[in-house]
Amino acid sequence: MTENGLTLKHFFEEARAGRLTGIRCGKCSELSIPPKQFCPGCQERNWTPVPLAGKGAITSFTVIRVAPRGRADEAPYAVAVVRLDEGVSLLGRIVDIPFDALRSGLPVRFRPLVKGEETALGFGPV
Amino acid sequence: MRRVAVIGVGVTKFGKHDRTSAELFAEAAADAIGDADVSPAAIQALYYGNVTGGEGEKQLHMGPLAATLLGLPTIPTTRFENACATSHAAFRHAMMEVASGISDVVLVGGAERVLNIPTDAATEYFAYCSDASMEQTAGLTFPGVFALIARAHMEKYGTSEEQMAHVAVKNHRHGVLNPKAQFRKEITLETVLKSAYVADPLKLFDCCPFTDGGAALVLAAEEVARKRPRAVWALASQAATDTMFMHEKRDLARVMATERAAVAAYRQAGKTPADVDVVELHDCFTIAEIVATEGLGFFEPGAGGVAAEKGWTSLGGKIPVNPSGGLKAKGHPIGATGAAQIAEIVNQLRGEAGARQVEGARTGLTHTLGGNTATVLVSLFGRD
Repeated sequence: MTENGLTLKHFFEEARAGRLTGIRCGKCSELSIPPKQFCPGCQERNWTPVPLAGKGAITSFTVIRVAPRGRADEAPYAVAVVRLDEGVSLLGRIVDIPFDALRSGLPVRFRPLVKGEETALGFGPV
Repeated sequence: MRRVAVIGVGVTKFGKHDRTSAELFAEAAADAIGDADVSPAAIQALYYGNVTGGEGEKQLHMGPLAATLLGLPTIPTTRFENACATSHAAFRHAMMEVASGISDVVLVGGAERVLNIPTDAATEYFAYCSDASMEQTAGLTFPGVFALIARAHMEKYGTSEEQMAHVAVKNHRHGVLNPKAQFRKEITLETVLKSAYVADPLKLFDCCPFTDGGAALVLAAEEVARKRPRAVWALASQAATDTMFMHEKRDLARVMATERAAVAAYRQAGKTPADVDVVELHDCFTIAEIVATEGLGFFEPGAGGVAAEKGWTSLGGKIPVNPSGGLKAKGHPIGATGAAQIAEIVNQLRGEAGARQVEGARTGLTHTLGGNTATVLVSLFGRD
């Protein structure tokens, strides 16, 4: 464990099991993902890992139709920035929601997207 | 600190080349040294920019290679990488070397070659400029980054796809006037609006192309520059950084690093947006130009779309933006772009920009954005 009690490896191990984890600043209470050393808000180095419920709403989204190499079979797919109920945001792949139903403010729920060794962040219907 | 001037510029033709990026840079650099009217032996250092050479050309340690192919194998050199802002970042550091008194004459620039590899491979390498842990695994691409920004801007300010299309039409119109541009063909609003979606709401013609090309600048201290009437002063160069993560951006409809770099650059130069006669800014996507014209202070937040629609950013408009054709039409060899933008502004302030000359331009600005809006450089240039 590092000073912030969370590494990226641990964050993704937890995410793979369906659990989202953030870190909360012990001084100003800022909630942050991914783990970092100093609080960007108050520069304190005093974090505590906190479980997140994984529920939130879309802030902005796009449907990616031209994919990078290795992801052509996945396209088209939607990616969104999601603001979680706890107040911190995350970017992830949207799954199981029709493209024409996507809009800002749409409630979504976290789900891990597991592909071999890789774990990606995903969001599906509530 | 000493005053610094750009005394020579060189840019290759932008488009597809069958030469390596280091060769492309060497050609541009030799042209810049010739333009500066200095002996090659006068060059004391090289600040070199390239982004994807490690992946696409299996080439690292590229500073010494570029210096070797230029024929100056013994000058100190370092390679810079700051995503699409690479050679503008290199410029700022080269400027500091001259301003500090360490060197009197320094070469800076960059090159990129990507048209030798498949488009999906280039898309993958460019995506390396976003975060690997969360953003690449989610499948985020660069059009995707700016699509998130575009949708936020549309929802917050009512910006339309048609207003974005006006940026593409204008920059292609300017590109016709630039012999070095990759595309020298006018396009219509209909062409843009009917093109296929790449990352909704951005369509193919909202996106700049993949491009091969090189660009170089010779910088010099005041004592050297004063003997050269075509010298253009570098009045300011500022860099700003913002979080690497799209989900941590304070406001997706703004680019905070642009706003911070601009404020610092105007302060350093003692100028305001109203003093600027001509601008080369980072239109990697049409929405990027709209957001940049707001962040640089030329228009109020949210007014950039209307400005594009009204033609205020066109040659002959209130504030001519991207007379070179911009990244959209001139092309975007990412390691060369920052230096190429500065070369255009230098030519404009010299009065040597030919058919795309902004008459009487005395003060110019360049703006280069790197990656997922995490890096921005803004520099200002002027004549006495």
